[in-house]
Amino acid sequence: MDKLSTQRLPLLKRNWWLKHRFFKLYMLREATVLPLVFFTLCLLAGMVALLQGADSWQGWIAFMGSPIVLALNLLALAASLFHAATFFVLFPRVMPIRIAGHSLPDQAIVAGQWAGVVAVALLFFWLLGRV
Amino acid sequence: MSISKHATQHKQAFDEPLWWGLFSAGGICFAVFLPAVILFIAVLLPLGLLPAEALSYERASTLLFSVPGFLFVGAVVCLPLFHAAHRLRHGMFDISVGNDALNKKLMYGGAALLSIVALGIVVTGFLR
Repeated sequence: MDKLSTQRLPLLKRNWWLKHRFFKLYMLREATVLPLVFFTLCLLAGMVALLQGADSWQGWIAFMGSPIVLALNLLALAASLFHAATFFVLFPRVMPIRIAGHSLPDQAIVAGQWAGVVAVALLFFWLLGRV
Repeated sequence: MSISKHATQHKQAFDEPLWWGLFSAGGICFAVFLPAVILFIAVLLPLGLLPAEALSYERASTLLFSVPGFLFVGAVVCLPLFHAAHRLRHGMFDISVGNDALNKKLMYGGAALLSIVALGIVVTGFLR
């Protein structure tokens, strides 16, 4: 950053990102962390409830089932998938993988990461889906 | 875009690679682990779509208050919190909210505090 940079670039207004679809998508991606923080706080409350005892735990599950909380967590689920879609395509650009002199195609790296999402979901199904 | 953030301070930011590393690690965890975690814990569990004993008080305690539970919290709570802190800090800068030096302390400080609380809960439950 040189001394003349303030003369070259005008200061941006707060709504600069509303003027172009690319920047709106950028802001949407940034905003995916808002429902994530909500879910994380819910999860922390659940951990405290689990520490307190069986009644608190049942109370927490009831709280998680209330319509607004459920709706916000469904939003968090959608946000996590949108974040994944944007984040996975970055990996091959930041860290291209070469095997035996041949670079792995970008689609293969992206597909590998989606396979990871499915594998984690299957692990959860194995752990919680059947008793 | 980063004029006011850097114009006043000319010293090298040695800590940025740490925040960026935590942001990246948290981003991977958010993308790979969180969809399944949210689906099972925040959607299927409260809707009663899991087997009754899957996350009963006893089973949930056994699963969480353990070494794998500690790693679970690290990957599902702590790292994504630092990811969120980084995005919130830069998002606030993008829409000119507050000042970056303070936002930085609040966001990363908040993520660190909640991470310690979360890991502390697991350790407390484990030792009890």
